[in-house]
Amino acid sequence: MEQKKLIELRNIVKSFDGQLVLKGVSLDICENEFVTLLGPSGCGKTTLLRILGGFLDADEGSVTFDGKVINEVPPYQRELNTVFQKYALFPHLNVYENIAFGLKLKKMSHDVIDQKVMKMLKLIGLEGFESKNTTLLSGGQQQRVAIARALVNEPKVLLLDEPLAALDLKLRKEMQYELKRIQEEVGITFIFVTHDQEEALTMSDKIVVMNEGEILQVDAPQDIYNKPNCRFVANFIGESNIFPGVMLEDYHLRFDDHDFDCGCFGFKKNEPVDVLIRPEQIEIVKKEDGKLTGEVLSSLFKGVHHEIMVETVPGTRVTVQMQLIRNQDVASEDGNEMISANNFYVDIEDVEHMDDREIIALSNAQAWNPHTDEFISIAHVEYDLRAEEGIYPVVFSTGNGTRVERRIHVVNQPVVRNERANEAVMAFNFVRSVDEIMESQALDTDLRTWAGAQGWKLSDEETSVELYVDYDFEPDEVKEGVYPVTFETTGHEFKVYTTTHHEEGQEVGLFFPPEAIHVMPHTEY
Amino acid sequence: MKRFSKLTIPYIAWAALMLLLPMLLIAVYSFTDQGNSIIPFTFTLDNYVKFFTDPDFLLILWRSILIALKTTVLCLLLGYPIAYFIARCEEKTQNLLILCITFPMWINMLVRTYAWIGLLSEGGLVQRVLSLLGLADGELLYTEGAVLLGMVYNFLPFMILQIQTSLSKMDYALLDASADLGASPRQTFRLVTLPLSLPGVVNGITLVFLPAVSSFFIPKMLGGGQYFLIGNMIENQFITVGEWNFGSAIAIIMAVIMMCLMMLVRRIEARNEGGKGERP
Repeated sequence: MEQKKLIELRNIVKSFDGQLVLKGVSLDICENEFVTLLGPSGCGKTTLLRILGGFLDADEGSVTFDGKVINEVPPYQRELNTVFQKYALFPHLNVYENIAFGLKLKKMSHDVIDQKVMKMLKLIGLEGFESKNTTLLSGGQQQRVAIARALVNEPKVLLLDEPLAALDLKLRKEMQYELKRIQEEVGITFIFVTHDQEEALTMSDKIVVMNEGEILQVDAPQDIYNKPNCRFVANFIGESNIFPGVMLEDYHLRFDDHDFDCGCFGFKKNEPVDVLIRPEQIEIVKKEDGKLTGEVLSSLFKGVHHEIMVETVPGTRVTVQMQLIRNQDVASEDGNEMISANNFYVDIEDVEHMDDREIIALSNAQAWNPHTDEFISIAHVEYDLRAEEGIYPVVFSTGNGTRVERRIHVVNQPVVRNERANEAVMAFNFVRSVDEIMESQALDTDLRTWAGAQGWKLSDEETSVELYVDYDFEPDEVKEGVYPVTFETTGHEFKVYTTTHHEEGQEVGLFFPPEAIHVMPHTEY
Repeated sequence: MKRFSKLTIPYIAWAALMLLLPMLLIAVYSFTDQGNSIIPFTFTLDNYVKFFTDPDFLLILWRSILIALKTTVLCLLLGYPIAYFIARCEEKTQNLLILCITFPMWINMLVRTYAWIGLLSEGGLVQRVLSLLGLADGELLYTEGAVLLGMVYNFLPFMILQIQTSLSKMDYALLDASADLGASPRQTFRLVTLPLSLPGVVNGITLVFLPAVSSFFIPKMLGGGQYFLIGNMIENQFITVGEWNFGSAIAIIMAVIMMCLMMLVRRIEARNEGGKGERP
């Protein structure tokens, strides 16, 4: 269907306080279209709408409306009307007067105004409300009045700035249908701003996805969902499984260590790409029949379907021993000073980088006055470390000579490498007192720190990989002893929607047809 | 809250003693005369009759109301633009400007009024500048203009603060909405800004008119003996003449007139309030 262009935005640039909010946005909007500007908060969608409405001036670029450039036209002379985010109904006027506001300014006769307002009240289903005070209406009713107040002026375009954001979920759904119905009935262009992807999919003829001041994709809802042009759009709209892959040649690609057929072409040979498969397009089958196999990690019942996580490539893990000991605080002879420290482990490679500060930190050496709880600085650290495996004594002491002796274990700690997942992890055994576990405010973070746990990409050692902590003790009632603590990366996980139930831990196969695979150019995050 | 309700008793007693009792006494005084040694008070309406039958007294009453009205109108005309300007500034600037407006109020009103005597008198700064420009010949002090100036100067901050408060409470999206619906900036002011600031205007009028109509110090200082107002008359009856009964009667008459005027203003405000208007 050939439609007439109504609004043309060309290379719109806008910055606030030196911060670029719109980075050269160009967009065409046709007559009689329901267009949604969709994007996360701060993506510039509201700014774009305000430029259209005339409330903001663009720094650069042109706004063309019906063939005329309207950059310099003030809002009250533009042929478009706005429904504001918090409705902005005039509190000193009643429902009728609010709706009639624009008509009275046009000096229409009383009976014409009366007719038009009554027609609008009928359209929005608020007949009999005309003399009501707007501040006493419910959110949904105020919403309708705001829409009527704008529509009664018969604008060519209606701008709606997140008009449903302040409504509760049920009312929001109702208003979605209501808005679509009104748009179809009055037959004008609606430009609708939202950050809610479901709202956008439900109502729009055309969705404009924005992020960080740029338009990423403009398409019909089905195309935005099925053929997103980049990772951001795929992630923002709907649920998605996105993996890095390599396009071997047209219609053939490789990801997750397997080669697949797909419907995509036009990429370079061996071009790195992002691969998208929607959860509802994957089927769970017997292990032998799957294109990929994996283990069911979790299964959540969501009403119509089950949301199942299947791990096809396991994460990388390392388990260390945590030795918990009783408090071994040492008191000075006069009883005015206490000092404490722990034995600890270091890697041979790190021995030469060790200095006093690092040793104090690793052993968590502290001294304090037991009467006042004031901290006392550790004045001396004596040790004799060599880059050889073994156990070395270290002595911490305060200026007054209160001292404690501990051990440094120099070990050759193996790195756990996982070539398939392109990851490596490493962690050390460690010794802590029971009290430290019990007093910890953020135990996972502390455990990572104490164990010196780290994960990184094999291809790029500078890129760290997030580690999850797993342990099998109750932090509140832990006793002395040795406990295993595991640090683990997430593997490759597929989210799958099925109508059948699958047990956690079950080995399953994943099947998806070639056309379920959508390939996008690779973007770095 | 109920547990604490007994705590309010001392305050109520205090308020009754300090506010209600004097009012009652004034009312009693106004309806009595000094009587004789046997009966200390006798009921009479003479005080009221005396006031309303003497054209001089009525003239003074009329003059007082007139000058208070003039003061109020001037304060409104000067105060609204200033308040509008302040309300449109950023919050930091707003606070600074309000500080500037209220700053003179930290100094005693008597001192400030005495300062005006110095400025306006023969050879004073204002007088000299004006006569140099050929705008004023002769006496500035002890004229109606001087009294008006003193009143506006003293009461203007009340008007500005009230209007500024109601303007800065206004949602700026309403101005966008008005422009969006086709109202030019001037129409937006008339149809949105002004009606929404009306409560502030009414409060401002009340806060300026009431003290202006009963003030006695400013007309005494800046108007000299020439410009006698109702406030001065009451003061005179109590302090110079010693006619407490007649003085009380004038005070009561003033109170009733003010109450009526305020009720009138409130009614006008109520009619303009949101959503209550009838369909045209």
